[in-house]
Amino acid sequence: MTITTSTPAGLDNRVVVGGVARTWRALPAPALPSPAAVLAAGSADALTAARQHAVHGTELLLSTAHRVDPAMRDELRAAGFALTTLDADGPVTVPPARPRPAEPGRLWLLTSGSTGRPKRVGHTLDSLTTVRGAQPSRTWLCPYAPGTYAWWQVVTLSLTQPGQHLVVVDPDELDDWPAVAAAHGVDAASGTPTFWRRTLHRDGAALARVPLRQLTLGGEPVDQAVLDQLRAVFPAARISWIYASSEVGASIVVHDGRAGFPVDWLDREVPGRPRLAVDGDELVVSSPYHGAGLAGPVRTGDRVQIVGDRVLITGRLDSDEINVGGSKVSAGLVRGVLTAHPGVAWARVTGRRAPVLGRMVVAEVVPTPSGEPLDEATLVRWCADRLPEYAVPRRIRMFTEIPVKETLKSDV
Amino acid sequence: MNELSRAQIRDLMAQVLANQGKVLPDDDAADLREIGFRSLDFSELALRVEDETGEELNFDAPGLRRIATVGDVLDFLGTLQRQ
Repeated sequence: MTITTSTPAGLDNRVVVGGVARTWRALPAPALPSPAAVLAAGSADALTAARQHAVHGTELLLSTAHRVDPAMRDELRAAGFALTTLDADGPVTVPPARPRPAEPGRLWLLTSGSTGRPKRVGHTLDSLTTVRGAQPSRTWLCPYAPGTYAWWQVVTLSLTQPGQHLVVVDPDELDDWPAVAAAHGVDAASGTPTFWRRTLHRDGAALARVPLRQLTLGGEPVDQAVLDQLRAVFPAARISWIYASSEVGASIVVHDGRAGFPVDWLDREVPGRPRLAVDGDELVVSSPYHGAGLAGPVRTGDRVQIVGDRVLITGRLDSDEINVGGSKVSAGLVRGVLTAHPGVAWARVTGRRAPVLGRMVVAEVVPTPSGEPLDEATLVRWCADRLPEYAVPRRIRMFTEIPVKETLKSDV
Repeated sequence: MNELSRAQIRDLMAQVLANQGKVLPDDDAADLREIGFRSLDFSELALRVEDETGEELNFDAPGLRRIATVGDVLDFLGTLQRQ
């Protein structure tokens, strides 16, 4: 199959990386083979590979060196990819073990591997582009790891839409991103709930100085508490959460400031829009933005729970449900209760092996820095007032820092 | 293994009940139903013992028998630590 490419419309958009502003058009142009699996040392290198793909249709899988282990490197070379390490000194390429013709226009994403080994999912710039209508001019912060679905979402927006500028931060700049963003006029930012919670926790005052008009959350379950905390800082901004994955693309976009999505979106047929359904406890999506070979209903592995008029996405099926002596507990719902406490900045809820009951609910919590001193008994009582007895976390450990991985998630 | 004494397990049991606004009586013969110490509380206490000792308890060990009094709980967890 051949995929046609055309000159991307956003080439004159501004791109700021490492504090240096250029346009997409002015970025360096490394000579990349095709098909290439490019392991970028940093965001600046990743952007040059993305631009190369957008302009020349290079078949490309883009990632970072530490997301691709030796076994995956062998697998990629066996699948016909040249393995190219890209840093400030330029590309260094190891040829494929089994060369094959390139598929022009093909983009490959590696899934996050949260359910096992990362898988390759085939896309194109077109299938990754989910924002097509004219948009108000924005300068977007991109804090994601290069090559992830979320990274491509922000990058394709800037590559394909005039007026969508980009400020990229590398992992070592992440803690100070509000200062970088304020210096470069960022007015839109996309991040995981963990990213936003960490920012609120570390320096809410610095965040408030960023003139954000659009805040987007995705990549993890989004609870009401983090939406409310961001609304308090940015009362006039549009705050959206997005459900998206490499497999089904951006499938749910919610702008009303509430966790979950309206229950009447289920089983609704709208041309050009994903169809959402629930089978048992699992979210099932049929999406026009799906990866190659994933047409039709895709079981997402994400657990949902209908509460009132909303469908809440509570977590992964294999980890969200905790069986406490035969009673089912959603870790996501318990987490939502904990994070609704004004003294809690972050929480992780898990099941722990226990006598008599098999498992019981336990939690880890990071208190807000400015709140009243928080103890276990206070949180147990808070939960006991809001949850069935078997769902109340009985062991709650306190930590001082919100953990985060390269994916900006904390595996809650 | 860092084994907890009976008195230390008793302190942890008191903490489990205190988190729920309940008081552990001094009398080892006190009935668990009367003081409101239930299976969830027993499980929590076992986890606290594990956290204090840094060792997993062998819950599969035989002997998770009838436990009706405060003394039964202390005896059982004491025994479990040694298995």
